[in-house]
Amino acid sequence: MSIDLAPGRSGALRVRHPVLVAAGGAGYGNELLEIVGDQTPAAIVTRSVTRDARPGNRPPRMAALPDGLLSSIGLQNPGLDAVLRRQSVRWAASTVPIVVSICGDTVEDIAALARALEMQPDIAGIELNLAGRDRGRTAAPMGHDVATAEVATVAARAATELPLIVKLPADVPDARAVARAVAAAGADAISAIAPLPALALAHDRRRAYLGTAYGGLSGPAVKPVGLRVVYEISQVVHVPVIGIGGISALGDVLDYLDAGATAVGMATAALADPFLPGRLGDDLLDWCAGHGIDDLRELSGSALPARRDRGRRRRDR
Amino acid sequence: MPLRPTTGRLATSAPNRSRGEEVSLLERREVLPGRYLLTWAAPDIARRVQPGQFIHVVAPRRPGLLLPAIPVAGFDRAAGRVSLLLADGADGAAAAAGLTALRAGDEAAFEGPLGRGFEVDARSRFLLVVADGEGIAHVRACVDEAVASGRQVTLLLGVAKVSQVLPSSLLPDEAEYVVATTDGSLGHHGSVIDLVARYEAWADQCFAAGSEALLARLAGLARGRDARMGVARLRRKRGRRTEATKAAARRRAWLQVALPHDAGCALGVCLGCVTDGADGPARVCREGPAFAVDELRWAADR
Repeated sequence: MSIDLAPGRSGALRVRHPVLVAAGGAGYGNELLEIVGDQTPAAIVTRSVTRDARPGNRPPRMAALPDGLLSSIGLQNPGLDAVLRRQSVRWAASTVPIVVSICGDTVEDIAALARALEMQPDIAGIELNLAGRDRGRTAAPMGHDVATAEVATVAARAATELPLIVKLPADVPDARAVARAVAAAGADAISAIAPLPALALAHDRRRAYLGTAYGGLSGPAVKPVGLRVVYEISQVVHVPVIGIGGISALGDVLDYLDAGATAVGMATAALADPFLPGRLGDDLLDWCAGHGIDDLRELSGSALPARRDRGRRRRDR
Repeated sequence: MPLRPTTGRLATSAPNRSRGEEVSLLERREVLPGRYLLTWAAPDIARRVQPGQFIHVVAPRRPGLLLPAIPVAGFDRAAGRVSLLLADGADGAAAAAGLTALRAGDEAAFEGPLGRGFEVDARSRFLLVVADGEGIAHVRACVDEAVASGRQVTLLLGVAKVSQVLPSSLLPDEAEYVVATTDGSLGHHGSVIDLVARYEAWADQCFAAGSEALLARLAGLARGRDARMGVARLRRKRGRRTEATKAAARRRAWLQVALPHDAGCALGVCLGCVTDGADGPARVCREGPAFAVDELRWAADR
């Protein structure tokens, strides 16, 4: 039993189970792989890499809220060359597929990043982060505009034969339009959602808590938004959708799969428990075995309007 | 059957035992109104912990959220015990809520010790420990460790009023303990920083934690002291700096401060706990929480 996250790439991104670590949940992957042993996630999406080094946002960068996590890292990373220099040897040794997330201010940046990664032998795929936001530099993420998202996807697609996942922001009027555009532009899969813009106040209520004022909200609080977006876009595109947002238990994974996702990504919960993505993946396989499901595709989309009446086997939930 | 939204809670997953040490609560004391000293049997953490380090509470906690980080406020290596000083309510409420409600005999799981603790230079004989407010939890273990290693130690504590003063019974008899209160209800009337001047010349090293204002003023004071004594600044030093020379300079630094680890993974991957370091962003969970004064960029440097 396995899942193909890039069906158009002849099995180039085939994973053992549908629970991935989403960008931000495991750094560049190696820190997590060092501790989890054989309880591995299906794949690891690295934190976003940019062409040049970025210092990141000023602290404080994270606020732990009652039902979520507000963070504003600002794409801190040492730049593509330094990342490849430091990480590529360890990626080569990894048994877990490594998907490198890239983010750029311009289409040229994205093309250059994708081209450079195309040369790397040990990368399983690329995630184009269209939700990345460096508040000091750009006004809005590329995924906010349908045309920009499309052009960025075309640029990445033209530069690489690797499986290409495109990550979309949720704070857009119509996620379906953006999803349709990037799928038509050559994305092999779509991942959603990225953290939602949000605000927390400091203790004295005299200013915003985070150094950059706004941050991205993730964790259990955003799960209903993630479900909504996955539900919407999986009805309008034919590429796999990777659902992200507030997953911390097997029930959350099943919710996303039923809402139309082919796989799921975890970040916030993986920060607290690096074993969790691998464990939930194994739990899901057990759950399928227990329910007589032998193809994971059977799980996907049973809550979607078009498929609801097909007589799913999972009445016993 | 009425339709209800699924909560997503289908908990089939066995709790993960491969992370964290199982610990049991030996004693829970309300040392001040709303403040608890929890003593745990945690032999593995007690064996390895250094003053200034922290632990992550793996259990009990709510799923899906970050692990609460709590500084180790004291330890007894021989008896295999660590103690935590927690405030119930206000800041750190989420952390405290899960632990302060426990009773003696209850179990929990801690991951740790995490981060880099304070490092005492082998030649230092006289140690000054300074804290205000919640900072005491970060430096309290320094006092124990100093006394255990035969050093002389003075603790300067600043709080708002007498009802917040940590009882001296919670400190070793050998330590000198001086208190400042903002309202003058006990000890020095004013800020704890006013007391530092009296001990500055006496102390070989100083360890501090607490409010940003306190740490910034101490940093200014340490800079002035270093200038007078002709100590080169860590980051201004010429020549090649290796990890070994950095570590040595850090150990010799007159002032080391512990920063709170507010939120993050403590694995070094989330970059959420980053603070302004002299050489760029520094992770509190890895490069800290204890920093030599010149490893950080202070407001005065900007």
